[in-house]
Amino acid sequence: MTGLVGEFATPVAAGEVAEPLLEVTDLRVRFRTRGTVVHAVNGLSYRVHAGRMLAVIGESGSGKSVGSRALMGLLPETAQVSGSARFAGTELIGMPERELRARRGADIAMVFQDPTRSLNPTMRIGAQVAEAVRAHSSLNRRAALDKAVELLGLVRLPAPERRAVEYPHQLSGGMRQRVMIAIALAARPRLLVADEATTALDVTTQAQIMELLVDLQERFGMAVVLISHDLGLAASYAQDVLVMYAGRAVEYAPAQVLFADVRMPYTRALLGAVPQLEREPHSLLPVVPGQPPDLARLPAGCPFRPRCTAADDACGEAPPFTEHEPGHWWACWHADGGEEAR
Amino acid sequence: MTTVTRAAPTLLTSPGARLVGKRLLMAVPIVIGVSIVTFWVLNLIPGSAAQQLLGPEATPAQIQALEARLGLDRPAPVRYLAWLGGAVTGDLGTSLVSGQPVAGLLGERLAVSGELVMLAFVISLGLALPVALLAAHRPGRLFDRVSMLVSITGLSVANYVLALLLVLVFAVELALFPAIGFVPLTESVGGNLQGMALPAAAIAFPLFCFYTRFLRGDLVDQLQGEDYIVTARAKGIGPWQVLLRHAFRNSAFGLITVVGLNLGTLIGATVIIEQIFALPGIGQLMLQAINTRDFVVVQACVVLFAVVAVVANLLADLLYAVLDPRIRYGSR
Repeated sequence: MTGLVGEFATPVAAGEVAEPLLEVTDLRVRFRTRGTVVHAVNGLSYRVHAGRMLAVIGESGSGKSVGSRALMGLLPETAQVSGSARFAGTELIGMPERELRARRGADIAMVFQDPTRSLNPTMRIGAQVAEAVRAHSSLNRRAALDKAVELLGLVRLPAPERRAVEYPHQLSGGMRQRVMIAIALAARPRLLVADEATTALDVTTQAQIMELLVDLQERFGMAVVLISHDLGLAASYAQDVLVMYAGRAVEYAPAQVLFADVRMPYTRALLGAVPQLEREPHSLLPVVPGQPPDLARLPAGCPFRPRCTAADDACGEAPPFTEHEPGHWWACWHADGGEEAR
Repeated sequence: MTTVTRAAPTLLTSPGARLVGKRLLMAVPIVIGVSIVTFWVLNLIPGSAAQQLLGPEATPAQIQALEARLGLDRPAPVRYLAWLGGAVTGDLGTSLVSGQPVAGLLGERLAVSGELVMLAFVISLGLALPVALLAAHRPGRLFDRVSMLVSITGLSVANYVLALLLVLVFAVELALFPAIGFVPLTESVGGNLQGMALPAAAIAFPLFCFYTRFLRGDLVDQLQGEDYIVTARAKGIGPWQVLLRHAFRNSAFGLITVVGLNLGTLIGATVIIEQIFALPGIGQLMLQAINTRDFVVVQACVVLFAVVAVVANLLADLLYAVLDPRIRYGSR
């Protein structure tokens, strides 16, 4: 991953500092269990700029979630994390647990996929939000509860005072996800990681939650990392898109650039697999052929090689993730379109 | 049983009271069933109270006369119905052997057994909670390993074996506690507790081991497998807060079930332990009554055990409702 030394030429909104809020470099996560080593993240590098939304796209098991949880030390003890993740200039990887704890929720907050399982079933909504408030402030119980109700209003939960004394099972899925967002916002984080935050919701609710996220992002000037397998979501909401495969980045570009000019065969295959209304009824949905690689036995060379139509002998060596065009990074020897990459 | 009919109409409005009422009503057939089975089994035991009272020298005619006087010559269903009729109105009959009212006999001894069970219960749970929490705080570390080793050992030893070991070490060798004997609480609190220490410990230790293992395992499962734990950690709260406010609250349900089931069987454990330490409790009373074929007393003891088991499970269910909001609201 030596190609990463060069500056990102990501378009930056006027008045913003070019210094990235989060800079992840060569992040690696391995899980060691009973002799087998699972390589979940293998040299992942990306940057998140303040106030922007980065969509991290990939199939299940591509390391999207693990990579984001590793930043905040939220992985189980069996995980071995190496590499670098600098948040506003401070290295997070290897930071002592106590210091990391002070940053969880305050610097980087997270919203998870399943709002039903992600809330404590035995605690009132208000108490769960207030707990996040108190973790990073000296407010007393009463004041924190008031703040919690305020936050629940902020995420447009109807009747926040009443909902605050209810339990998670009394709320709908969409309402629970709003509660999760209220918890995440409690300490006004600078970066919000939404880990498949809308996947478990129906399409209408999904759109509502996304609108809310975009709204809150603008209001608080937060950066957002949107982890998803849904390219449509990325195209609609994110400014930047990072495509992951087998624990590494394979293509990265601002959304307009990426969707106008896909270079990496895997990204192209993913795009081809998005169901489209114009398609002939009853025709088979196109899928990416083959299976994602077994992360316990990663092949040498390009991990997408076995499923790639453009693969040849050159792919026996892993292609570096390099900025081939200004702002457009990819890892492939046979990038289609544009001038020859190498 | 009579309390239900009195309590139900006035408290029907509250869902909590309805739950209690429903469960108590369900308990009625259980207790009656237990009493029928007990009565039937006791009838199968050879020998009668009359035989035991008169001794081996008695002639059949003498035995028959005494049986007639005690009412033992009537057919079993008649005797059962007579007993049930008395029991429902609070009259458990009189001992065939001593002639004393059974209710009075039970009352005295219930205090002793009750104290023993409560002590064992408080000791076992009082120790298991902190030990399990400390072990789950850092699974795999020294404290966790040692506590798991101790609890496996404790689970593999029967409480009567443990009782004898305790007597050997603490009564015979160290002479810290009396090996047998009982001082009523009213006489001397210190003396009472000293006498109760070893029997309570013998009952409490295996329970402590069981609760510790159970709770520790459940806590670790919650901590490692549940999404709400990740949410809690992502808030930036400390590990103890995650453990106590999140994992423990959810692990408590499993523990309450186990404790509720145990509390019922706990009183059974007193039968043997009271025998070893010569404590004048229900268990001892029941064993004596079986030996003298004093079926009226045995019947009362067994029904009492059944009532205790039912009440313990009811308490566990009620605790559920207090702790788990889903049950409280779902019961409406």
